[in-house]
Amino acid sequence: MAVQARPKYVGGAVKRREDPRLLSGRGRYVADIQLPRMLHLAIVRSPMAHATISEIDATEALAEAGTVAVVTFKEIRDAVHPLPSIDLFPDSKPALHTALADGKVRYVGEPVAAVLATDAYAAEDAAELVGLDLEPLPVVLSIDDAVAAGAPVLYEEFGTNVANTIRQETGDVAAAFSAAAHVFEETFTIHRYGPVPMETRGVVAEFNATTGRLKVYSSTQFPHLLRAFIAGTLSLPESKVQVIAPDVGGGFGAKCEFYPEEVLAPLLAMRTGRPVRWVEDRREHLISTTQAREQKHKIKAAVDADGTITAVDVESWTNNGSCMFTLATTPASIFSAMLRGPYRIPNYRSVSHSVLSNKTPLAVYRGAGHPQAAFVMERTVDIIAGRLGIDRAELRRRNMLTSDELPSDRGTEIVLAGKVNYDSGDYPRCLSMALDLIGYEAFPARQREALRAGRYLGLGLCCFVEETAIGPFESAIVRVDGQGKVTVLTGCSPHGQGHVTALSQLVADEFEIPLGDITVLYGDTDLIPDGFGTFASRSAAIGGAAARKAAAKVKARAMQVASHLLEVDPADLEWADGEARVKGDPSASVSLAAAAQAATAMSAPLSEDFGFHLTGEDRFQPAGIAFSNAVHAVITEVDIRTGKVDIQKYVVVHDCGTVVNPIIVEGQVHGGVAQGIGGTLLEEFPYAPDGQPLATTFMDYLLPTVDDIPDIVIDHLETPTPLNPYGMKGAGEGGAVGAPGCIVNAIADALGPLGVHLTDDGPYSPAKVLGLVRRTQPGG
Amino acid sequence: MAEVHKLSITVNGEKFEHWVPARLLLSDFLRDTIGLTGTHLGCEQGVCGSCTVLLGGEAIRSCLMFAVQADGAEVTTIEGLGEPSQPNAVQRAMHDAHALQCGFCTAGIVVGLTGLLQNCAHPSSEEVLDTLGGHLCRCTGYVNIRKAAAAAVASYAAEEE
Repeated sequence: MAVQARPKYVGGAVKRREDPRLLSGRGRYVADIQLPRMLHLAIVRSPMAHATISEIDATEALAEAGTVAVVTFKEIRDAVHPLPSIDLFPDSKPALHTALADGKVRYVGEPVAAVLATDAYAAEDAAELVGLDLEPLPVVLSIDDAVAAGAPVLYEEFGTNVANTIRQETGDVAAAFSAAAHVFEETFTIHRYGPVPMETRGVVAEFNATTGRLKVYSSTQFPHLLRAFIAGTLSLPESKVQVIAPDVGGGFGAKCEFYPEEVLAPLLAMRTGRPVRWVEDRREHLISTTQAREQKHKIKAAVDADGTITAVDVESWTNNGSCMFTLATTPASIFSAMLRGPYRIPNYRSVSHSVLSNKTPLAVYRGAGHPQAAFVMERTVDIIAGRLGIDRAELRRRNMLTSDELPSDRGTEIVLAGKVNYDSGDYPRCLSMALDLIGYEAFPARQREALRAGRYLGLGLCCFVEETAIGPFESAIVRVDGQGKVTVLTGCSPHGQGHVTALSQLVADEFEIPLGDITVLYGDTDLIPDGFGTFASRSAAIGGAAARKAAAKVKARAMQVASHLLEVDPADLEWADGEARVKGDPSASVSLAAAAQAATAMSAPLSEDFGFHLTGEDRFQPAGIAFSNAVHAVITEVDIRTGKVDIQKYVVVHDCGTVVNPIIVEGQVHGGVAQGIGGTLLEEFPYAPDGQPLATTFMDYLLPTVDDIPDIVIDHLETPTPLNPYGMKGAGEGGAVGAPGCIVNAIADALGPLGVHLTDDGPYSPAKVLGLVRRTQPGG
Repeated sequence: MAEVHKLSITVNGEKFEHWVPARLLLSDFLRDTIGLTGTHLGCEQGVCGSCTVLLGGEAIRSCLMFAVQADGAEVTTIEGLGEPSQPNAVQRAMHDAHALQCGFCTAGIVVGLTGLLQNCAHPSSEEVLDTLGGHLCRCTGYVNIRKAAAAAVASYAAEEE
């Protein structure tokens, strides 16, 4: 076998190939698509959180100039199925929603009617004229209200607001608690915030009556799954549906969901025979795109005298809002499977409920359950360390799995993804590196000195392990043309992650050819028939491996062609610099271009085994989940006069296995941390007692700006996963996982001298912090 | 709705004359009427900065202005600032520093920073942060955008000399 050439591109800080187009305004997002005779769709949304629909009056709307149609559930009842929830395991209550409300509305923003008009302004005008007669019902908003005895239920047929319950248990929890030196109990809450990409959602659907095929452009993270959902909901064969994800302006989980508008636009395009466009506005986005995170947890920990945590027993509730969305159970499932993070904790029991309420539906958001798990576990660890008087880094070290203990079967399972079996990593080393970078040893002296000057500094840590690079598979097709140029088709659907660059790097190294010889295509179900999409930190690892495997297959075929052309035994050939060469005689060679030219239908006489053309298809199906890990460390200063939390230094040491491109990975970490900081200090979806959403503009929903995010110190540890032939794990979500836990731990540390005890994740706005401080003052 | 006004406007050096409804936003005119879709709409509430264009050389939010208000004006959009193969100093710096991911907010930031540099060749870091403070980015965490902005300021100053 030829000696593997040193990678030229993998591991290198290759600048992104995507950039020139995007930097010059030449991207093509869904709202940029204009088609002849296109109609514009506007959605009439429920103004009430819970009500029965008595009447919908479209008379005035239909009389408005430009209105083409007004459609309610009555008109689509026979044509559509409810929207599926794919992680809803068998014992769940199928609280599914329909594309338009069926007799009852369950949140403010729920689609009630669809209005089609000749332009977008006219469609919005007409939508405002649709009269709704609603009979209000009692509103259920919080988890406590939803599970209270006698609470009004959202779906009468189920008689309960609990959609499902996941139970996981390993070891002997009862025995550990009865033997424990200390038992700690806490209740933690996590507030509702969400992905909020800069591009809102949008769909353009076109129907070709001659072929009977739908072409649907959608701002989605998973075109192939969307094809199946649209086909299933409209009872069409998948062959009649083409989904295209054009440039997508961020997703973060909000766009790996299947939405009503993705049913309505295609259906109305079929009914009218004209293209239909719907582009969400920001207000709609903030009330009707999936939100995230909101949970409550009661946790009990059994701890030995030396600080060893012997057992954890946790019950948790996720506020899923009005229905079970596409990936609705995943947050609760990941939380329950991953709570223990890097810690041994041999005895563990978790009961997690997904609960329905009259809020906007909740689903996955960057980290999906991991941020909640890391927050709850890492607050618990700090509280234990504080009460036992053990240094918190030392307590973490004592409980942490060492690399000798990996792989480690954790005895838990994640819905859709599978068994939790930590594959590889060096958690204690990541911790040591992070402690060094944050200046852990020197910090207590600094903190004491600052306190003497009336300044409240705090240091926070957050260690976590994260499920990444999940299957079931990703596919790739690699094709070489007669000029030796390579086309890579991938089932991934990138939307900012730089996969064109990363996949080019992997394939260029396989062929040993320049990066510029490679074109990466994606996001069209007609172009590549199978794919899974981009979410769960999976694409570079799984899609990258599929692309490189397909390239390796094509390279092997090129070697066969070369052996035929050179009339030498394949064993006497080696591959170098983009060509097959006779060992010891580099002048006798066949380039990739020559091999591709020879492997065409016209060039006899290659045996049938070669097939035609230099094309190969492959999949990568990982044998298990690859687990990334990281430690975040932060120093904050809390100004107790203004309530402002200032982040002075932020450190991330992470291990995502083999790094394909460090600048892309660091960019993912920056973005994730920024979202975690946003969620912890600024962002919230609050609701009035009647269920009215209170954050409906960017003046109320505060995304972080340039002043809110500090520079971030990053170091990588690279432990290749044995589950991937190229060693990659996932890197996309971790930044968002660690930030809430470590920032709240730092605020708690800063305000420790005032006796403040923190059990929620914020957002720690100045007003909230001031309130906490005031309550500690005499008479406060 | 029916009332239309004549709009004469120069965009990226090209003259356009259109009859437009009074309520048509400048952003929608640029995107839908004349097909320059590089200007993006992230909120239409005047907050996110994605729709930033230069009007008479000043950075403005095209979603907060009616097209008819720009009658007689000269507008520069992202399409007028540099071809993919010939980027300006800001575009080059953003590519070098990996200061974009999904690319949706990017056009607004490029236009905003370019506008700043065209009006003030040596902006202070506060002025740069002030400009960036008007742009929301959800992907990058701003770390690399700050780096790119600093590099663009340095290279713009060097080119001036």
